[in-house]
Amino acid sequence: MDDPLSLSFAALADPTRRAILARLSSGEATVMELAAPFDMKQPSISKHLKVLEHAGLISRRQEAQKRPCKLETAQLEKVSRWVEAYQHLWEDSFDRLDSYLFEIQAGARRGE
Amino acid sequence: MDTVLTITRRFAAPRDLVWKSWSEAERLGLWWGPKGCVIGVNRFEFRPGGFFHFAMHFPGQEQMWGRFMYREIAAPERLVWLNSFSNAGCGIARAPFGGEIPLEIHNEVTLADEGGKTLLTLKASPFGASDDEEEVFRNMFASLNQGWGGTLDQLEAYLAGQ
Repeated sequence: MDDPLSLSFAALADPTRRAILARLSSGEATVMELAAPFDMKQPSISKHLKVLEHAGLISRRQEAQKRPCKLETAQLEKVSRWVEAYQHLWEDSFDRLDSYLFEIQAGARRGE
Repeated sequence: MDTVLTITRRFAAPRDLVWKSWSEAERLGLWWGPKGCVIGVNRFEFRPGGFFHFAMHFPGQEQMWGRFMYREIAAPERLVWLNSFSNAGCGIARAPFGGEIPLEIHNEVTLADEGGKTLLTLKASPFGASDDEEEVFRNMFASLNQGWGGTLDQLEAYLAGQ
């Protein structure tokens, strides 16, 4: 499976990558800046960045040797939208389940 | 499990009755499904490896198919299944309306008995969203105590400010 949303979820399944995205939500950063809060070498961080870039969650500008990373909001919005839609599907269903349970218990009490 | 979405709901009904609403096709078909659609049950095998295969009828639209593939069943408290769109033959299918949604979603429901009432917890995550399903699962288990909640809240706030 290599559709963008699946790639995004796979990318988001790792806590380090989620932390990188959280950091990028406050502005662009270089690999060195991103590596600083983690007990990780730059090559490990670079691997995570490649996964995020491949999933369309970040982009990197070619600026001298620095290549700062930037959060790509469009892909993240798709992830958020799916989570919200799936939540609504179940909330709506549970509303109906609630009514159903109420009705059959009321019916049982009336002796139906 | 690294859960993407958790929903809890308390129902004013005994646990056995809530469980039956999941384990019996004629009950499940009455409440489960997207808003505005009528569910037609095509196949219902309530056992691990079995399928709930259903048609979703929306007024004025061509019907769509969906399925649950049951993985674990522990009556009356726990149910695990994979949810996906389907075709008429109960095969797995992409969403018929296009759009980006995961091919399969892993769901776990637990029912807690609260003396005549029932607390339901649903946990859902996209399933096998990678070339290497095992790696995804390892990643998910590795971050056992870190839900996505915090990160997604932060990102939502960020997106709202765009």
